Amino acid sequence: MLTITTQQENGHDILLLKGEVDASNSVILDEAITKAVNDGSNSILVDGAGLEYISSAGLGVFMSYLEDFQEQEINLKIYSLSDRVYEVFKILGLDQLMKIYPDKITALNS
Amino acid sequence: MIKLPPIHIGKLSLLLAILVWLAMLFVNLVRLVGILNQIDSGFAIEFSWVLQILFFLTVYGFYNYSITKNSQSDFLNLIWRGASTGLFAVAVYVIMDLFISSLGDSKLSRDPFLATFFYHIRFGLLTIFLVSTSLLWQHLILYQKTKQVVKQWQAFEIAMLVGMFLVFFGGKDTEYPFFFGMALLGILAVILSTNLKWIPYLTFKEKWKSLLFLAIIISTVCFFLWYTFSVEKDRIYPVNLTWNLFLISLFWFVLVYAVLSFLVTLFNLPTSSVFEQKLTEAINFQRLSQSIQPEENEEQVLDILMDSCMSAAYADAAWLEMNSEDFPEGLTQERFIDGDMREEISDLINDQKSVQAWASEKRPENISPITLRLHHPKFESVLLVPLVINKIVIGKIVLCKEVRDGFNKEMLNIISTFARQACIAVENHRLLNQAILHERYQEELKIAQRVQKSLLPTKLDHNQSFDICAYSNAADEVGGDYYDTYMLDEDRYVLIIGDVSGKGTSAAFHMSQMKGIFQSLIQLNISPSDFMIKANAAVSKCLERNHFITASIFIINTAQQTICHSRAGHVPTLFHQVNEHKSAYLEIDGLGLGILRNMQYKNHVVEKTFTYKPGDVLVLFTDGIVEAKNDTSDQFGYDRIKTLLDLYHDLNPQEIQSKIIDSLHNFVGGERLIDDDYSMMVVKFSQSTIQI
Repeated sequence: MLTITTQQENGHDILLLKGEVDASNSVILDEAITKAVNDGSNSILVDGAGLEYISSAGLGVFMSYLEDFQEQEINLKIYSLSDRVYEVFKILGLDQLMKIYPDKITALNS
Repeated sequence: MIKLPPIHIGKLSLLLAILVWLAMLFVNLVRLVGILNQIDSGFAIEFSWVLQILFFLTVYGFYNYSITKNSQSDFLNLIWRGASTGLFAVAVYVIMDLFISSLGDSKLSRDPFLATFFYHIRFGLLTIFLVSTSLLWQHLILYQKTKQVVKQWQAFEIAMLVGMFLVFFGGKDTEYPFFFGMALLGILAVILSTNLKWIPYLTFKEKWKSLLFLAIIISTVCFFLWYTFSVEKDRIYPVNLTWNLFLISLFWFVLVYAVLSFLVTLFNLPTSSVFEQKLTEAINFQRLSQSIQPEENEEQVLDILMDSCMSAAYADAAWLEMNSEDFPEGLTQERFIDGDMREEISDLINDQKSVQAWASEKRPENISPITLRLHHPKFESVLLVPLVINKIVIGKIVLCKEVRDGFNKEMLNIISTFARQACIAVENHRLLNQAILHERYQEELKIAQRVQKSLLPTKLDHNQSFDICAYSNAADEVGGDYYDTYMLDEDRYVLIIGDVSGKGTSAAFHMSQMKGIFQSLIQLNISPSDFMIKANAAVSKCLERNHFITASIFIINTAQQTICHSRAGHVPTLFHQVNEHKSAYLEIDGLGLGILRNMQYKNHVVEKTFTYKPGDVLVLFTDGIVEAKNDTSDQFGYDRIKTLLDLYHDLNPQEIQSKIIDSLHNFVGGERLIDDDYSMMVVKFSQSTIQI
């Protein structure tokens, strides 16, 4: 189960993830990010506080935007990940490529 | 040994009957001579009776055999057989009388021998007619027999048999036993004659024919009665053959059954069309309920349904409309109506309020056929029959009649049954097709599974310096986990374990690509980090943008007892060192293959070389093991694997592997399935290498 709530805050699009991202629902995450980009956002914040689990398919979604966002200068930041979920990003090496922060304040200030 | 020729019962009994008849003729002629010359012929009267009974029995035997043999349950044939026998017998009677009368007043015409001879012929014919006809009646009576009827018939036969022998016990015509026997047989015959179940199965035309044949039989019987008991009453023969209980009872039985059949058939004539209609409906129903073969199509069922509905309702015209979802081309079948007329009536129907309510019914399974009155010059009433499959209306049949209020309740009942049955047949057909398709996919998946199994090595390369085992299990039929080994030279071995993102068929394809990449690149004798860089470049060309592969590679050098390791985003490998008395995960940075698809990737690859000691253990695995969850959503996790290895590192690789997998299954719970692919490879370095 995955629910995504979208918020607008000072020019940032915030996606609040709740539940688990796996192969069956990674499309929802993909659509949410695509929608934010199409709406002209250049700063997307992903709040991972409610994220309990992310599978390789979910990681694939973030991964697929890496190069595009670099070219288009869109900021994608993830924050408030639980230890367990952060571990998954770290093992894959995504922590070296993505901007991952411990909480919202550090994410905004960086 | 002499082989007996097969006994032909029919021929044998026929031959016996003729012989008995000739013997009887001879005996009675001799007796006539005795009477005329007033001397004792030497034959007791009982002798004639015995021959007579024998004659009855042999004729019965012959016909019983021949009718049973030729019994096709064609009632008309049976009745015609009786009628033709009767006609033949009557013709012989008439010819004999004509012959006598043509002789005029000559001496021959009054010759007692000739008269006796003719009398015997008449007796023979009469017996043949009565016995054969009653056996035909037996067939008709026992049509759709019940146990009770069979018992009644057996009782009748036994009574008849007893009746034959009554003559020996003073069964004179005027005595009490004779009348008692006659009354009994007469009542039995009437009871049996009420079994007329065959009549309704005749068609209208067949009924007329059977009426004719029955009329012939009745008149024949009357003729024989008149001749036997009126014409011949005054004639005197040496022995009275006809006036006995058996023949009189047969007369009665044949006549009663013929008359009853005639009357019942006559009264059944007007209703026979109804019965035929019901029979057709039953047959139609059967045709509809037979499930359609997969290669046939639904239209054939709908075709039968149209015919059945039209004939059940005596409809003058009809058409079938299917909803566009199932039949994009808009299937319509028209019967006795053209397109223009159909649209004209369609519009008239759709204008009616009751139809609009009917069409917008929310629960299609509740829709039943409705009848409507129309103001149309040709058709004055219509019936709409919905076709509902799986709670969805797939179409409707419209039946039109030229008379007003042409559809009654019985028609509605039978038609809705037809429609339901046809819908079930169509639904079954669809389900069957789906099942077949599904089965084919399953078969394909099994092949894929077999092919994928063959991609994993069955023999793992190693030398005496280390022992190795591996295990892999896919969540679906096929999976994305990969492990492999390669021998670079006598001392150097490569191990790889990998995991493709996602699972199932797509992952399986990528896994086979990974195998190709590994087997090609590793032959270049490159370092682990170079391998990862080249593999990343290759994977980037093969995978869709949101897919990646994680891998861990190890080059073991058994001569130097070193391991060179690189990790591309794969879950860390567990290493147990005997000297340290503990297990630890190999910490090394690395990025999954296919994540960064440009030259920058090489900045993220690290290579590390370390030494091992005999007794050390390496446990390689995929994230399916770490992320396996139990009922309370806890993950199996890294720590559990580590604790297990600390406990069991003394065992051999197979034992370590099964300890970990058993523990994993216990953790997850017996009933729960692990919903990801999981694999592991265990390497244990041998103690013996110290001596080398």
